[in-house]
Amino acid sequence: MAEDPTATDPGWVDEVLFAGHPTDVCLRLPEPVDRATLHRLVTAAQDRLTAAGLRPGGAAALRLPPSLAYVVNLLATWRCGGQAILLDHRLTDHEVDLALARLTPQVVVAPVRTGGGALKIFVDVTEGVTRYADRPAVSGHAVIQLSSGSTGPSKVIGRTAADLVAEVHRYTRIDGVALPGERIILLPSMVHVLGLVGGLLYGLHAGVELVPPERLSGDAVLAAISAGSTPATVLGVPFHIGLLASTRPTGPLPQLRRMTTGGELVPAAVARAFTDRYGVPLGNMYGMTEVGVIGTDLYGSHRPSISPVPGIEVRESGGELWVSCPASPYVGLSDPTRWSDGWLHTRDAGTVDEDTGLVTVRGRLDSQVSVGGMKVDLTEVEATVAELTGVAAAVVVWDDGITAYVQPDGPLSEETLDKLLAERLAGYKRPRALHLLDQLPRTTTGKLVRSTDALRSAVTR
Amino acid sequence: MTMLAELTAKPAAEVSDRIGSMELAWLVHLVEQRYECRLDLTDDELAGIRTVDDALVVFRASLTASADG
Repeated sequence: MAEDPTATDPGWVDEVLFAGHPTDVCLRLPEPVDRATLHRLVTAAQDRLTAAGLRPGGAAALRLPPSLAYVVNLLATWRCGGQAILLDHRLTDHEVDLALARLTPQVVVAPVRTGGGALKIFVDVTEGVTRYADRPAVSGHAVIQLSSGSTGPSKVIGRTAADLVAEVHRYTRIDGVALPGERIILLPSMVHVLGLVGGLLYGLHAGVELVPPERLSGDAVLAAISAGSTPATVLGVPFHIGLLASTRPTGPLPQLRRMTTGGELVPAAVARAFTDRYGVPLGNMYGMTEVGVIGTDLYGSHRPSISPVPGIEVRESGGELWVSCPASPYVGLSDPTRWSDGWLHTRDAGTVDEDTGLVTVRGRLDSQVSVGGMKVDLTEVEATVAELTGVAAAVVVWDDGITAYVQPDGPLSEETLDKLLAERLAGYKRPRALHLLDQLPRTTTGKLVRSTDALRSAVTR
Repeated sequence: MTMLAELTAKPAAEVSDRIGSMELAWLVHLVEQRYECRLDLTDDELAGIRTVDDALVVFRASLTASADG
């Protein structure tokens, strides 16, 4: 290839993702979807996207839950030479409107009908495509993802096609990932980096079947493992470990090779409960939306440390972990405290062992928290609460869950506050506990107090 | 409350009454494990659950329905 592929050079999709045999099964939903079928669906979707106004160099916003429709429209957008803007389906209309106004996609793909039932991991979706704007994409990235951010309503993170391809190739060099002909039991959302690259893109490239369980329960995961004869790796987040650790298998599971999770650290007791019950390794991964997978411990032998994956360098600078990243992934943001000179400043506290190269992550240095594997910036939540009509001041902290302390500006009920927030913030970002106080505690100079102890005692006073 | 306490490893008294989608999935899972049955809940039923008390009402109705059927 003469130069790095960009969003307007769609060749990489066929080279990297569609190269396998036409009868290879890519997805089991549980009906098998083979490569030829997927190719046909993608081609038909390209016609719909083009008819609605998507052109090479433009963007399509995908506001779809994990579904075959999502996979098909994502691949179709890329094959049209377009940029895919991935919008988590749990975002509110308010959050989506802000994102669309900023990113000006040519088309928006959203469900017109959703079926399936409760606790589904993969949803039946009939999608509709609507025209939105008539402008080119805001950048040359192949994919745009939004991350809860402290610098505005959300941070815009872009990744080029070359960067995605490089990450897929990194996966092929990691010892302990599912191999060609094997299966991935896929639990994380394919809208976010672990499910997107570690699941969907790697699976398509390597010829690994992707199997989303029928629904989110321990029994359904075990049923998905037992449904095939080939080796299976369960990919999930820490919540899913607890789910499996508390499920009694009804028989042996010789197909189960390993469970691998990304996201926050797993308590040792949960890890032990899992390995005692299933007798297979529990692997751990560390990654970020900005760069994808950074390090792994897929045999669970270095817990809680991880070893950087081939092609990624990690170093420590003043207690913060920095990761090699050739270009800034941020769109419309030039902040040298987040990226400079080829290094992404992760805002994760951590250390790198000089002798072994092992990396130990020791928590966040900023206001970001993890809710079930989803990153939420408390600054965004606090700004949203504080801007509501009827709110004089607000403090949002992490106290075993997102907790909001609110000083109303006149009469304001918890129910009203709840309703207003539900219109503005996706469910996983909303405070789990709300406390209305006549006066928020302040320092002698009038600054809001953020200590959880002081806030708790202000409630009980 | 005790079931949610297992998920968060906190005393039951400190567990918040509000529940999100993950806590809800956890409760459905534990109820199914304990009663060895499957709760066939609809999207609408699940969407209406915002607190532990709401969940109890829906679970009881579902368990009673499956015992009758």
